[in-house]
Amino acid sequence: MSSFIDAISTQAFMQNAIIGGVLASVACGVVGSYVVVKRIGYLAGGIAHSVLGGMGIAYYLGRPPIEGALVAALVFAVILGWVSLKMQQQEDTVIGALWAGGMAVGILFISQTPGYSVDLMSFLFGNILMISSDDLLWIAGLDILILLIVFLFYKQFLALSFDEEFARLRGIPVERFYLLFLSLVALTVVILIQIVGLILVIALLTLPAAVSGQYVRSLNLMMLLATVLGVFFTTGGLALSYQPDLPPGPTIILVAGAFYLVSLVITRFWKRA
Amino acid sequence: MSTDSVIKIKDLDFSYGGPKILENIEIDIQHNEFIGMVGPNGSGKTTLLKIIMGVLTPDKGSVKVLGNPPSQSVQEIGYMPQFASFSRDFPISVEETVLMGRLGKTSSIGFFNKADKRASEKAMNDVEILDLRKRVIGSLSGGQLQRVLIARALTCEPQIMILDEPTANVDMKVEKDIFDLLKQLNERITIIVVTHDIGFISQYIDRVACINRTLICHPTSELTGETIENMYGAHMHMVHHHHEDEKK
Repeated sequence: MSSFIDAISTQAFMQNAIIGGVLASVACGVVGSYVVVKRIGYLAGGIAHSVLGGMGIAYYLGRPPIEGALVAALVFAVILGWVSLKMQQQEDTVIGALWAGGMAVGILFISQTPGYSVDLMSFLFGNILMISSDDLLWIAGLDILILLIVFLFYKQFLALSFDEEFARLRGIPVERFYLLFLSLVALTVVILIQIVGLILVIALLTLPAAVSGQYVRSLNLMMLLATVLGVFFTTGGLALSYQPDLPPGPTIILVAGAFYLVSLVITRFWKRA
Repeated sequence: MSTDSVIKIKDLDFSYGGPKILENIEIDIQHNEFIGMVGPNGSGKTTLLKIIMGVLTPDKGSVKVLGNPPSQSVQEIGYMPQFASFSRDFPISVEETVLMGRLGKTSSIGFFNKADKRASEKAMNDVEILDLRKRVIGSLSGGQLQRVLIARALTCEPQIMILDEPTANVDMKVEKDIFDLLKQLNERITIIVVTHDIGFISQYIDRVACINRTLICHPTSELTGETIENMYGAHMHMVHHHHEDEKK
C-alpha cells in the first residue's frame, strides 16, 4: 500500500489514473442513478457494447478511437431509444442484435486495419493507467456537459424516471427527453470506456448507484453517494491492483461487485431483523 | 348559462381503428359539478378521460375544455390515475412526488421554485399529509399513498379534477375519508370521479354519467336498481347498508 501512495506522489500516470477515476465517478454516479431507478441497464449495456463499432471504424481511419466511440454511442443511443419507444414487443431481441452487431463491425474493422497491432484488450477492458492529460480534458468536458443538462432539466428527468405516464399528462415531451437522457448515458459510457473498457462499463455504471440506492431516500442523495462510492471503487481497485501488477479495470469491477453483494446481504438481513 | 360550461362534448365518436369504443357522446359539465362516471370494464371510461385530457383525439365530434381544445387546457386538469404508474421503491419523498404535479405550470428549466413549494404545501395541507412530507413513498400505507396522489393532482391548482377509481385499493373507512375530502374540494373545483361503487358515492355526487359505448346521464335522485342493472347489462342485487362509524 505504501508503494501505491509513493506511486501517486511521484508518477504522473498514477495521478492521471486517480483523477480519471474521480471524474468518471461523477458521470457514473449521476447518470448511473437514473439508469438504476429507470431499470434500463440492458439498454445501457447495448449502447456500451455497440460502441466498439465506432471505435473500430475510427481506428481503421486513423482517428482517435474516442471520437469514433462518441459518435457511435450517440447514434446507437438514438437508435436504441427509438427501438424501445416504438417496438416494445421485440425490444430485447433488437437490442441484443444491435449490441452484437456493433461489436462485430468493430472487430472486422480492427482486423482490416493495416499493421494490425492495436491492443484489442485495451478497448474491451480499458486501461486506466494509460489515461493521458488529453483524455482527462475530454472526460472533464463531458462531465460538465452532463451536469449542465441534468441541472437544466432536473424536473423533467425526475418525472421521466419516476412516472412517465404522469409526466406525459402534464405536457412533458416524454419521447424527446428519453432520447436526450439516453444521449447522456452514451456520453457516460464513452467516459467509462477510458477507465474500465466497454465490456465492464455496465458494472461501473450501475453498481455504485445500486449500492447507494439501498441506503438513501432521494434521487439527489443517491447520485451523491454513488459518486463517492465510484471514487472509492476506482481508487480502491487501483490500489489493490498496483502491488501484484493486476489489470486495474477488472480489479475495480470486482471491488464494486463484492461491495454490492455484501451490501445486498447486509440490507436484506437488516430489513428482516 | 353556457358560460359556466367546463367540459362540453358534442356528438363524439372514437375507435382505436376497429369497432367504435365511444359513440354519440354528449355531455355538458357545469362549473363545480361533482360527476360520478360508471360503466363496466372496457366500456370506454378511461378512453373518454384520455380524450378530455387531450391524450387521444376523437374520430368525430367536438370537445371543449374550459372553452378550448383539450390540449390547451390539460394544464388546468389535475389527474389521479387508477394505478400508481411508478415503482414504490423509488427513492423519492412525499413532497417531491407532490411537486411533480407542478410540471407544465412551472418553468421548464432548473429546479422547483418557491411558488411550486408553496402550492405543494397547500395541497399537502388540504389532504392532511403535511406531516408526511419527508417520508419516502415506499413507507406509506395504501390510504396515505392515495392522498399523496390526490395532492399531486391538486398542486397544479386545477379547475377540474379527474380521478380514476381513487378508492379501488383502500378500505371503507379510507374511502369515506377520501370522498369527504373530495366533497370539500368540490366547493372550488369541478370533479369527475370514475368508480364502481355507485351505491356508496350517490350521497356525494350531483350526476352519474353511465358509459357503455354510449353515455347516459342521470341525476343522482333518479338512480334505482333498474338503471344500475341496465348500465352493467346484468342482474345485480342492491344492498342497503348503514355504517356504524358515521357518527364520528
